[in-house]
Amino acid sequence: MSRREPIRLGKNTIIKSVGFLLYIYLFIGFMVVPCFNTLASVFSTVKPDGSRDPWAVIRFFFAGNMGRYVLNSLKLAVGLVVTVNIVGVSIVLLTEYFDIKGAKILRLGYMTTMIYSGVALVTGYLFLYAGDGIITTQLLKIFPNMNKDWFSGFRAVWFTMTFACTSNHALFLRNAIRGIDYNTVEAARNMGASPFKVLWKVVFPTLMPTMFSLTVMTFITGLCAMSAPTLLGYDSINPEIVRLAGSSVADESFPQARAALLSVILAMFTIVLLTVLSSYESKGHYLSVSKTKAKLQKQKITNPVANVLAHIYAYVLFVIYMTPVVMIVLFSFQTYKAIRMRTLDLSQWTMLNYFGSRDYEYLTSRGTYKLRKGAISGLFSNEATMGGIKLSFVLSAIAAALACVIVVVACSYIFKNRKKLSGKVLEYSLLFPWLLPTILICYSYRTFFNSESVFYVGGKNLYYAENVRLLIVMAYTVTKLPFSLRMIKASFYAIDEELEDAARNLGSSPVWTFLKVKLPIILPSVLAVFALNFNALFTEYDMSATFASSYGTTYAMIIQSMCAEEGMYGYNVNASGRRCASTVFIMVVSGIILYLVYGVGARDLGERLDARDRRRKRMERITGLFSRKKAEVKV
Amino acid sequence: MIELKNIVVKFDNFTALHNINVHVKEGEFFTFLGPSGCGKTTTLRTITGFIDPAEGTVSVKGRDITHVAIEDRNIGIVFQSYALFPTMTVYDNIAFGLKVKKLKKAEIDRKVREIAKKVDLSDEQLAKAVSQLSGGQQQRVAIARALVTGPAIICMDEPLSNLDAKLRVQLRNELKRMQKEFGITTIYVTHDQEEALTLSDRIAVFNKGYIEQIGTPNEVYNHSKTEFVCNFIGDINRLSPEVSRTLGADPKQHNYIRLERIHVNVEPKATDVVLEGTVESMEYYGLYIKYTINLGCQSIKVIEKNDGVNIYEPGQRVKAVLNPRDVMAYPAEEVAK
Repeated sequence: MSRREPIRLGKNTIIKSVGFLLYIYLFIGFMVVPCFNTLASVFSTVKPDGSRDPWAVIRFFFAGNMGRYVLNSLKLAVGLVVTVNIVGVSIVLLTEYFDIKGAKILRLGYMTTMIYSGVALVTGYLFLYAGDGIITTQLLKIFPNMNKDWFSGFRAVWFTMTFACTSNHALFLRNAIRGIDYNTVEAARNMGASPFKVLWKVVFPTLMPTMFSLTVMTFITGLCAMSAPTLLGYDSINPEIVRLAGSSVADESFPQARAALLSVILAMFTIVLLTVLSSYESKGHYLSVSKTKAKLQKQKITNPVANVLAHIYAYVLFVIYMTPVVMIVLFSFQTYKAIRMRTLDLSQWTMLNYFGSRDYEYLTSRGTYKLRKGAISGLFSNEATMGGIKLSFVLSAIAAALACVIVVVACSYIFKNRKKLSGKVLEYSLLFPWLLPTILICYSYRTFFNSESVFYVGGKNLYYAENVRLLIVMAYTVTKLPFSLRMIKASFYAIDEELEDAARNLGSSPVWTFLKVKLPIILPSVLAVFALNFNALFTEYDMSATFASSYGTTYAMIIQSMCAEEGMYGYNVNASGRRCASTVFIMVVSGIILYLVYGVGARDLGERLDARDRRRKRMERITGLFSRKKAEVKV
Repeated sequence: MIELKNIVVKFDNFTALHNINVHVKEGEFFTFLGPSGCGKTTTLRTITGFIDPAEGTVSVKGRDITHVAIEDRNIGIVFQSYALFPTMTVYDNIAFGLKVKKLKKAEIDRKVREIAKKVDLSDEQLAKAVSQLSGGQQQRVAIARALVTGPAIICMDEPLSNLDAKLRVQLRNELKRMQKEFGITTIYVTHDQEEALTLSDRIAVFNKGYIEQIGTPNEVYNHSKTEFVCNFIGDINRLSPEVSRTLGADPKQHNYIRLERIHVNVEPKATDVVLEGTVESMEYYGLYIKYTINLGCQSIKVIEKNDGVNIYEPGQRVKAVLNPRDVMAYPAEEVAK
């Protein structure tokens, strides 16, 4: 279907070569070179006498305790695979497969991890379970002999992440179980299988591909864990990389090379796992053969004992999921005194953690009273917090939009050149960042662009002062490309090729066709991807922590620092309260975004027009009511 | 009006169209008929410009348009899937082509409403989303959208295949009425021979990238030029050499006779031949009855109008009466093609 028009060909050639050069610049300059630099820095240790010692770090690794970090990360990853799968499968079965009373409410509880995660969630858990946390304090009253500091180190990280990392199960496993053809379940029951036998023999095998993907994803999550180990104090790879990256040769031997080595080790694990995963996925197992699928109906657990146990289990999980959320919401409206005592004071409620500020008088060590102006301040009145929110807002919005624009442009090229090599190369280039742990990308950016000798960015040090924000935006964008590509590419498949033909036939130029016909079709997906990207980046912690620059203190870092500085020298007196308020704010923002994406955004034009009609009719009924009243008055 | 001269289309090493020659007259309803993969849609897409032919020319009213861009051809098309823009209302779908042409708003509005009236779309339906309309209504939108820009020719690619059987027949009649009303030259692609026969002024029968025959429905049906055409259109009996000999036809040739040309137990006319046989089975269709009659050397199928009186049961001896003039004969070597 090529057109022979020499004039257009000329224009096309220019566009193509500009596009090609831009691709080379971006991919080589901002993906290959920085990461290769990290890899190279592992082998470029310089001894004090100036000579090179390529194997110094490797020797150090095997001689010292660096292996501990890798082992700890692996231990966490393995532990999480077990517990996250158990909890994740449980929550999906309890809400989708078995007939459990109150399943809708249970589901809402289990899905709370979708609206708050990362630092907000970890600090929430810390708030409850730490030595001076609400729940531990209460438990100590009942069991005075229990270990006050049970919630620390590996146990704490494992516990927290077990419940924090079930979002993928809640999304994908739920879809998979809903895709099961109920007729197959009925057929098995008809042949005499019990509900549990059906579950084991019919349902689970169809879920295997999804389970495999989720297991690999969970393993990688455990390996690359950042916020939980950092905040709860567990020596795994990522926090160590961040620590080393900020360290200098004066403190310890070749910290940068060690950080690079750790991130390369992490990358190797990720690459191997994802390669296994994608080769498994590409085989495309267990496709449903039936054309008319029957909707899954919930199975009643006929054994009364099992039924009661299942209900108890479901609600225990619900309580574990909901307690942090409820507590955080409640405490965000409590005074700093109540929060400090870790007890709810039902007689006093305040909005001070959200709005306004107050002075604080405290007793100094010299025995005198001192007044700190504005030491108690609300989330929206605290300069540092607002600064973090604003910075995160702007950086995330720019990066989320940039990732969408790049992917949309790339996708329209990829789709036109699906069968050509160039299309495939572009696609794999965009998926490339998926293979690398985000920490490797950020670390590479931090070290590589922290120099004035990178000619292709104009010889500017991008890690210096405000420039780091550009670096953060770049890292955000790059790490969001693979996800954006997967989602937006799927929406391109929804464009019927005949639509494009129809538009051309009606006289529309290719650009006009793209803007008026194709873009409106993919726009809901693009906006959804934008919203999800923004949602993830807005509370992102791992990347900005890796950059660790005072010019790039994002919202999540502010939340983290709130924990540490509470009440010192009469500053930040209500830090915990403000942190609770912050978490509530994040939950509201994420909740709204998810509602817009999945609730409103998923409607097609017909549904929107229907909704408009209903609104108009409702308005007419209301106005009609008034006019009738007027008429009655007249009578 | 529209002329295809020696069109050859190649996809890589596969030749999809071999030397296609078609001349469609002004105002004609012209149908491309054939099984799937025979090249009919490819020919249509060559006319609309989605496919560049490797050889040959397409000309409209004497003007060569072989290398004119798709958007400048002024040939309307109705797609099999209708290809209605899902993000636009019915009104915006119809107005799309006019907006591209940068017509004034008032004129667009006038034209859209005018064409909507002609295809029976109400103002209320114009404000709806495409997904809110039924299949038949969607089809009318697609036709309105194709016609509103005033194309010289309209092409339809299996426009009825997405509809259920009853609606298909209903819309078929409507389509014919509209075509007559607008008087527009129409090229219609279908694999449904009944559709082709009822709608068309002329039919081109395609097979494996060749045109087998071009003719009126009657010519194509009753005087099929090739063995493929006679087999593809309508149900037919292939006569065995013995029966052929009885009828005075050349037994070396392939001889065929249509089902409705054989009559059961009627008074033979002077030129008719009578063959005796036994009813093997009957299929009851309501409007007509299909009998399979065993003549001894072969079984033949016969269709009789259901008059409610003469119904023959399996096992009954009957006389099959037929006229040797109705036999269509083809040279034997043609099968090899």
